[in-house]
Amino acid sequence: MAARRALKAVLVDLSGTLHIEDSAVPGAQEALRRLRNSPVAIKFVTNTTKECKKTLLERLRRLEFDITEDEIFTSLTAARNLLEQKHVRPLLLVDNSALPDFEGIDTNNPNAVVIGLAPEHFNYQTMNKAFRLLLDGAPLIAIHKARYYKRKDGLALGPGPFVTGLEYATDTKATVVGKPEKTFFLEALRSMGCTPEETIMIGDDCRDDVGGAQNAGMRGILVKTGKYRAGDEDKISPAPHLTCDSFTYAVDHILQNLL
Amino acid sequence: MATWAVGARGLRGLLLDVSGVLYDSGGEEGLGSAIAGSVQAVRRIKQSGLKLRFCTNETQATRAKFVQKLQQLGFDVSEKEVIAPAPAACRILQERGLRPYLLVHDALAPEFDSVDKSNPNCVVLGDAANNFSYENLNKAFQVLIGLETPILFSLGKGRYYKETDGLKLDVGVYMKALEYACDIEAEVVGKPSKAFFLSALADMDVEPHEALMIGDDIVNDVGGAQQCGIGALLVRTGKFRPCDEQHPEVKADGYVTNLAEAVDILLEQLQR
Repeated sequence: MAARRALKAVLVDLSGTLHIEDSAVPGAQEALRRLRNSPVAIKFVTNTTKECKKTLLERLRRLEFDITEDEIFTSLTAARNLLEQKHVRPLLLVDNSALPDFEGIDTNNPNAVVIGLAPEHFNYQTMNKAFRLLLDGAPLIAIHKARYYKRKDGLALGPGPFVTGLEYATDTKATVVGKPEKTFFLEALRSMGCTPEETIMIGDDCRDDVGGAQNAGMRGILVKTGKYRAGDEDKISPAPHLTCDSFTYAVDHILQNLL
Repeated sequence: MATWAVGARGLRGLLLDVSGVLYDSGGEEGLGSAIAGSVQAVRRIKQSGLKLRFCTNETQATRAKFVQKLQQLGFDVSEKEVIAPAPAACRILQERGLRPYLLVHDALAPEFDSVDKSNPNCVVLGDAANNFSYENLNKAFQVLIGLETPILFSLGKGRYYKETDGLKLDVGVYMKALEYACDIEAEVVGKPSKAFFLSALADMDVEPHEALMIGDDIVNDVGGAQQCGIGALLVRTGKFRPCDEQHPEVKADGYVTNLAEAVDILLEQLQR
């Protein structure tokens, strides 16, 4: 294998990696501080579509993470960029709290469908409405296709299953804008002036975080917090660069071996 | 004359799809409406001496209620002539000692009255319509993801069907959703599964080459029957859309305006 260039950037997942709902992963704030003292650029990349950037930031600050808004790159931002490029009016199946990130987008008489994590919209009537728009040729834009996510009461269905169902119903493919799409990872790097080979991604979702990043030419570290289930690291090939207990261990590995 | 009709002379048994062939479901009273000419067509098939089974993926009502509804619409049909997924699923559950979490239409639930549903070790998915809520799908998901070997039965795998107020998503969409969520493959009970068509033929004591399937679903009715060596016609009623005649994988043996036209042509051939 070709020699790796020195590490210049670290992409960090939020939900499941730094925090689980309103609790920080133990030690994560301290580990982030140590990472900031090293010569790497950091960006926080997330498929957490229920919340706009502002809300995400407020929570992270409440949990005492040292993060600024321009360091966060979300799949909602990526979706909005795509809607603007295509000049379409979306039926927005996203959580109400995500709507601020779509402010100013015309949603009258929709001719596109955007799906995020929106349990309140995943009912029979709304799914039928989305289906009929798709049959009329509306494009299907998925913020991401995660299979499930972790809630306090256990695992819960993500948007991926609903996107897959609509794809099957209409024999079409959704345009996915979030992780694990290659374009998402590359877009996140754009303002950082680094190449994928100089970047490592840390996350709790083996396919979407680690597999996606590695597919884009980065290295990936899988942490055993959040949605991680035993054996997840065997689900992708090539395997993760590293699988470790938590964000703290991931930072230790970077500081000791990759700089 | 249509080329498919030439083979009709050796015909002994007919399989008819119900929704979209005999009637369109939905409407205010939920009764739906008979498709023009279909009531008479069923009567004429019976008078001709051909054997007949109704091969349906209907899972919004018990077989008994479903038959009652068809009778109310004027159809000459009895319960023993209807091959439906729920009774077939009950047999499979009992044979394999499985206890289901049911995600089905309220009106179908009585079909599973005699089945042990405590501490579920599989999921049975039907066309649950309004019961396809996030909460219910999530419960099904949690049962499956908690099992060492998740078992998902899907009563049919249709994409959508037509009701009087428009196209509606069918069970297959939610089957795909759960398959994707759990990274598994469902066992389909109902069309287009081979076992389902063959059980209908066995019930009539008819061989595949002596039978003909008539339906409005190019993949599940026509494609499913053809996989068993049964000829199949597509009607241009129900969920039919013109692009179905250019389907990339499935070509029907014939295309007809409706059931009445199919029966006209068939009976003319049989009387020669």
